[in-house]
Formats: sequence, C-alpha cells, structure tokens
Amino acid sequence: MKQQIRLLLLDDEPIVGKRLAPALAKIGVETESFTDPEAALQQIGEKDFDIVVTDIRMDKMDGLEVLRRVLQKSPRTKVIVITGYATLEIAREALAKGAFDFIAKPFKPNDLRNIVARAARALGYKVKENPVDSSSAHGDPET
Amino acid sequence: MPVVTISSDSYRWGREIAVRAATALGYDCVDREILKAVADRYGVSESDLHKALDESPSPFGISSHNHVKYLAYIEEATLALLLKDNVVCHGLAAHLYVRGVSHALKIRILADPHKLAGEISSGRMPSFKKVSTLLKRREKFRRRWSLAAYRIDETDPSTHDMVISLTQIEPDEAVRTIAETARYRKFKPMTYSIKCLKDKALAGIVRVVLLDQFPDVRVQVDGSSVVVQTKALEREKHRRTEVIKELVGDIPGVTAVEVKIIPDIFREATESFR
Repeated sequence: MKQQIRLLLLDDEPIVGKRLAPALAKIGVETESFTDPEAALQQIGEKDFDIVVTDIRMDKMDGLEVLRRVLQKSPRTKVIVITGYATLEIAREALAKGAFDFIAKPFKPNDLRNIVARAARALGYKVKENPVDSSSAHGDPET
Repeated sequence: MPVVTISSDSYRWGREIAVRAATALGYDCVDREILKAVADRYGVSESDLHKALDESPSPFGISSHNHVKYLAYIEEATLALLLKDNVVCHGLAAHLYVRGVSHALKIRILADPHKLAGEISSGRMPSFKKVSTLLKRREKFRRRWSLAAYRIDETDPSTHDMVISLTQIEPDEAVRTIAETARYRKFKPMTYSIKCLKDKALAGIVRVVLLDQFPDVRVQVDGSSVVVQTKALEREKHRRTEVIKELVGDIPGVTAVEVKIIPDIFREATESFR
C-alpha cells in the first residue's frame, strides 16, 4: 500500500493553507494549497488526490460545487468541508452531497488533523500517530 | 448515527412511536423514566419535574423560577444521554433544545384527533365541535408553554424535520418512515454537529450550576470557553463576576470564562426611588 497521502487544500484565505500544510505534514500528508477554486479544480482534473479540504464561501465558486465536481471526477476521494459560516442547513447539505466531514472555523490544526487521519484510514492508509494530540492543551493556534 | 427526537400532541402516541422506532433502529429509547434519577440527583420531587414539562408557570402552580430550574435539570440530564448517540428521545422536550444540531432528526407525531379527544375525555366520545375546541385549546396551551420555556413555538411545523399525522399514516408506516429517514446521510453525526451538541451539553451543566444564584443567567459555550450573561446593579458587578468565574471555572471541561454583566435597569430604578 502506498503511504504518501495526497491532499488538496482550497481556501481563499492564504493563511489557512500556510498554517495547515505543515500541521498535516506531521502525520505524513503531502498538501497542495490553493486559494483559487478554478486553479484547484484544474489540478484535481490532472492529478488524483486522496483527500480534498475545501472552504464553502469563496468569491469565485461555492465549496459545495467544488465538492460535487471532485466526487464526479473521483468518487473515492474524501472531501472535508470547512466554513466560517456553519449552519444546520449547510452542514446537512454538505453531508447529503457526499462530504466526508464538516467542520466550522475557527478550529485548531489538530482538529483537522484528526479528521484527515480518519479519512485516510477510511481509504486504507496507515496514518502516523498524531504527534500533537496534546497540542491543543499547549495553545495550538486556531485557524 | 443520529439522535431522533420525537414530540407529539399525545404523550401516549409519541411514546408508542418512539419505543417502536428505537427498536427498529436498534437504538436506546430515552423517555420520562429518567426523571426519577434527575429528581434524586437534584433533590427535587419527580412530580414537579413532570409538571415542569406539562404545565406553564402560574401563581397557583409551579413558580417561574422553579419552572426554569426544573427544565434546566431535565435538559442537562437529557443532553448528557444524547451525547452517547444512537438514541430516540421522547417526552423530555429535547426537540426544543437540540435545535441547530444537524444530526438530531426532529419528528413531530400528530395523533388522530378523535382518538386523542377520547383519551382526554376519559374514553367518552365528544361531538366533532367539542373535539375541535378541546384540541385547539390544547394546542394553544402547548404553544404558550414552549414559547415561555424555550422561545420556540413547538406547534409550528417548521420547527420539526418531519411531521407525521397518525390520521393518515398508520403507526407501522410512521415507524418505517422514521427509521428510513434516520439513515439518510445528512443526519449522520459530523465534527461540527457533535461539537454543537457538546457545546449545548456543557452550557446545560453551567446553567444548572448558576441558576440558584443567578436565575436570569444565559450561557453560551464554544468548545471549552464559556460566556455567561446576567443582570446586576453596578455595585454588584465585580462580586458577581468573581462568583460566576469561580463557580464555572471549577466545572470539568471549562478553560475560559467570560462574564457579561447587563445593567439591571428595573432594580436600579427601584433603588433610585427609595
């Protein structure tokens, strides 16, 4: 079984990718960060990703549309939806459309790491032990 | 798996459907049996807890302060059980305090009006006009109760995910429909919805701790951070803040407490006239 987990992270705030990519690397996840949904979808069209993490509210495209297109291209890909505008309705819609999980911002990098680890395990990967399960107790900053 | 809350205009029919739905789904059914344990834990009478769920506060019945307190006890205990997942909950008003939790499927069961009227009038079958009047009065009462207790009109269909009328749908069909709906992907627990439920559960614990001393308290929780809002006079502000921080800070799972004091203008006005 290949061990490099490939993840695409899409959020129009560059700080999100900058902060999360190193955090995900700690559990063996190779992250490509994008701020532009169209560029992200182009990359998804050219390359297979195991996991896609997408924001919902972006200027150029709705994250739920990204979710739809990702699953259309690769039904095995686990899509994790993140948003700063979480509501019951959006959460249900995301899950109904096939999202693997849904998390509201702000969250700690460790929270996303746990979800990504779960998604990777669901795909059959062996995931490195989360090195900082105690990080939240040490002031892991929120994203 | 989701949490299913079942409320009804008839306790009997709500319970019947809840028990059968729990069996069909392989879930636990949580009902008013828990009230005995809640009463023992808080040193109140079980019948008062039942009254809080069934009656509005009144000068001749349950006081407003006790009504709020008893419902807070029930809410705290129920939310702790709902966190365990795979639960069908009935008769504890959970549909009114799990709002916003996306994996809580809220079902409303409407009993057959004639059967319900028969139950209310102890088996005698009143005329159609009387049935209609009786049921309207009951609905008006429940609307008033739910608005007073939770600021939500439980008789409004839009507050539920699904309303099933037993006049048209047989109980077996209702149970099958509930079980099938509970399996929809959209009702699966997710990180966000589990956090929402945990936040509500912790807020429930904080309220119970504070209600005796601060009956008007409002609590919001985000993870382990708690925001408490209460009214006070200017001169009480510092002391109240200290007391609240001390009480809430001792609760397991709480790491930060913010206290917002709202000026108690009515008491300030009363004092200024003295």
